[in-house]
Amino acid sequence: MTITDTTAAQATRRLNTSKAMVEAIAQEMRADPEVFYLGEDVGAYGGIFSSTTGLLDEFGPTRIIDTPISETAFIGLAIGAATEGMRPIAELMFADFMGVCLDQIYNHMAKIHYESGGNVKVPMVLTTAVGGGYSDGAQHSQTLWGTFAHLPGMKVVVPALPADAKGLMTSAIRDDSPVVYMFHKGVMGLPWMAKNPRSIDVVPEGDYAVPIGKANVVREGTDVSVVTLSLSVHHALDVAEKLEADGISVEVLDLRSLVPLDRDAILETVGKTGRLVVVDEDYHSFGLSGEVVTTVAEHDPALFTAPPERVTLPDTPIPYAHSLEHAVLPRHDRIEAGIRKVLG
Amino acid sequence: MSSDTTGPGADVRRSLYETMVLSRTYEEAILREYHADKGPGFDIGKGLVPGEMHLSAGQEPVAAGVCAHLTTDDAVTATHRPHHFAIAHGMDLDAMTAEIFGRVDGLGKGRGGHMHLFDPATHFSCSGIIAEGYPPALGMAFAFQRRGTDRIAVAVTGEGAANQGAFHESLNLAALWKLPVVFVVEDNDWGISVPRDQSTAIPSNADRAAAYGIPGERVEDNDVEGVYEAAGRAVARARAGDGPSLIEVHTLRLWGHFEGDAQGYRPELAEVPEHDPIPRYAARLAEAGVLDDAAIEQVKKLASERVEAAVAFAKSSAVPDPSDALEYVFA
Amino acid sequence: MTEVPFPVMSQADPAAVGILATWYVRDGETVGDGQLIAEVQMDKVDMDVTAPVAGTIRLSAAEGEEVTQGSAIAVIE
Repeated sequence: MTITDTTAAQATRRLNTSKAMVEAIAQEMRADPEVFYLGEDVGAYGGIFSSTTGLLDEFGPTRIIDTPISETAFIGLAIGAATEGMRPIAELMFADFMGVCLDQIYNHMAKIHYESGGNVKVPMVLTTAVGGGYSDGAQHSQTLWGTFAHLPGMKVVVPALPADAKGLMTSAIRDDSPVVYMFHKGVMGLPWMAKNPRSIDVVPEGDYAVPIGKANVVREGTDVSVVTLSLSVHHALDVAEKLEADGISVEVLDLRSLVPLDRDAILETVGKTGRLVVVDEDYHSFGLSGEVVTTVAEHDPALFTAPPERVTLPDTPIPYAHSLEHAVLPRHDRIEAGIRKVLG
Repeated sequence: MSSDTTGPGADVRRSLYETMVLSRTYEEAILREYHADKGPGFDIGKGLVPGEMHLSAGQEPVAAGVCAHLTTDDAVTATHRPHHFAIAHGMDLDAMTAEIFGRVDGLGKGRGGHMHLFDPATHFSCSGIIAEGYPPALGMAFAFQRRGTDRIAVAVTGEGAANQGAFHESLNLAALWKLPVVFVVEDNDWGISVPRDQSTAIPSNADRAAAYGIPGERVEDNDVEGVYEAAGRAVARARAGDGPSLIEVHTLRLWGHFEGDAQGYRPELAEVPEHDPIPRYAARLAEAGVLDDAAIEQVKKLASERVEAAVAFAKSSAVPDPSDALEYVFA
Repeated sequence: MTEVPFPVMSQADPAAVGILATWYVRDGETVGDGQLIAEVQMDKVDMDVTAPVAGTIRLSAAEGEEVTQGSAIAVIE
C-alpha cells in the first residue's frame, strides 16, 4: 500500500466508509477517463447507501449514470463496454437482487476471460450492498458472498473498515479482472442507520491501494483466532476488547478478500492459537465458514487444539422482527459464546 | 445479359452468394467431422468435435445480408448457433475451426468451444445462453459511441429469445440511450421443438420494436437481398447516431436444433430441403446474368478449399495440455 | 476563536432542531481549514460540516444530541 506523507492535520483526517469508497472512485475517475459508474439511483441520489455521494456533481451525468431497473441490461452493458477497453463500475443495488441478473454475472462477466483463452479481458467492478440488522427482511438483508465466491472467474472483496474500503476500491478499479466489491450497509457509517464507531476512521489521502487477496490481522492475540469479515470484524473487535478484561487474548483476522482467499493468513493465525472461531454473516451451510475451516483441516488438522466453531447465519430466511433478526445474526453475544466454547 | 434495376449491384450480389456458400460449405464440413466418430450409435461426448453442435444451414441469408454492411471494427454478438455470423463477419477460419475442435491454436485455446467463440480482431463474441448476447452488445455500442466513432454493434438472437427478459431490457435501454445497435432476430420457426405460435403472443417480433419506440422490420422468405436492404437502413441509422433498430428475418433451420436432433416434432420436415435459400439465390443470380455455372462452381471450389484448409489446420493443432487447465481464470 | 455552527438547514423554521450524527474529529485534535469534521442530520437530510479555519477543535455537542440550527457545535482555537 502507499500512503502519502501526512501532516499532523492530515494524519487525523477521518472519513466514514462510504466517503472512503467514494474518494477512491473519484480519484480513479479523475485519473482515467475510461472509468464510469452506472446503476440505479447512483446519480442525484448518490446511491441509496451513499456509494456515489457527490460524484454526479463532479463528473456529470455522462460518467455517473442512472439506469432503468434493468440489471441484466446494464450489467451486460458494463460487460460489453469492458471488453472494449472501458473500466465500468456497475452497481447491483442489493446483493439480494442477484437473482434477476445472475447470468450476466456468472456466465458472462466471470467466464469471458477464461473462455477466450485470456484474449478478452473484462476489467469491471460490480459493487453491491449487503447485510442486515435493520429489519429489511429476508429479501434485502443477505450477504451472499459465499455464493459469489463459489462461482469461478470473479474476484470478491469485502471491506470492513474505512481505509480498506478506499484501498480495495482503488485496487478493484485497477484490476483487469472482474471484481465484485461487496459493502455492508452497516459499515458505511450512514447517519440514518445504527451508529457503528468503527465505521469512522483515519483514511490515507491521495493514492492508496490495498492488495486484493491479502487478509489483515486487525488485532493480535494468542488464545483464539476469530477469522471474519465485513461488519462482523467490528463486532469481533468489540468482543475482543471486552474479553481482554477477562484475560482472554483474541486475535482477529479480517479476511478483506474472498477471492483470492488468503489461506496462508488463516493457517498462520490458527497455527498460532490453535483455536478457530469463524464469524460469517452468510448462511451456515455450503459456504465461506466451511471453506475457512476446511482450509485448516485439509492442510493439517493437528493445528486445531479444539474443534473449530462457526458463528453464522443459520440456514433460514432472515426474519423481519428485530428480536428474531438479531437472534439469527452473528452478533456480539454469539461471538462471545463461540470464543468461550472453543476455549473450553 | 439482363440485370435488376433495383436492389444491390452485381458485385454485392456475388459477394452475398459467396458468403453464403462459404458458410454452408463450412457447416457441411463441421457436420461431417462432428458425426465421423460419434459411433457406434451416438455418443455426444465422443470424437474430435465433442459436445453440442448447433449448425446454421439455411440461415446464411441473415448473416450475409447483415454483415455485408459491417467492417471488422463493428461488433457482433451471436448465439449458440454462431458460425454463419462468424464467417460472414470475417473471422479467421483457422483459429475458429481449431477452437471448435478444442485445440491450443483455437481462439480460446480450446477453452470455449463452438458456442463461446471470442475474436477481438473482429469484435465478435457469442454465448450459449439465450438472449444474453443482447446486453453486452449494448456495452460495445456504448463504448463506440462514447469514443465518438460511427462503429456499431449487431446483436443476434432467435425468435424464441424474444420472450426472454434480457431481450426486452436491452431494447428499452438501447432505445433510451440511443445506442448504435442493430438487433437481429432470426425467426427460424422453432425454439428447439416448440413452434413460434406456441411461444409468442404476437405474430411478429418486429412489432415489438414499436413498444420500445424503435423501428422494426420483418423480412420474409429468407431473402438475402431483403435482409441486405433492411440491414442497410438499420446500420445507417445506427451509424448516424439515430439509435437502434430491430430486424426480424423469417429464415429456415435446414437441420436440427442440434446435431442428433431427430426432429420428430417437425411436421414439414420432408419439404424443408426444397426451401434451401442458396440454390434458390444461385438460380436467381444466374437468371439475372450475374453468375453462370462456371462461376458458381468456382465459388464452391474456393469455399471448399478454404474450409478444408481450416479443418486440416485444426486437426494439426495440438490438444491442450491438462497441466494448464487452470490458466486464464483471471487476467 | 471561531464558532462552528450547526448549519441552517430549515429556512421555514429558524428554531429547527437537528441531530449531530457523526463526529469525524476528537476533542482537542488539530484540524485543517476545510477538513471534514462532522455530519449532521435534519428531517432525513444529511449534511457535512467542514472546519471554517485551522486550529484546535473543542467539541460542544455529543453524537446523537439534538442541536438547534445555528447554535455552536464546536469552537476552533
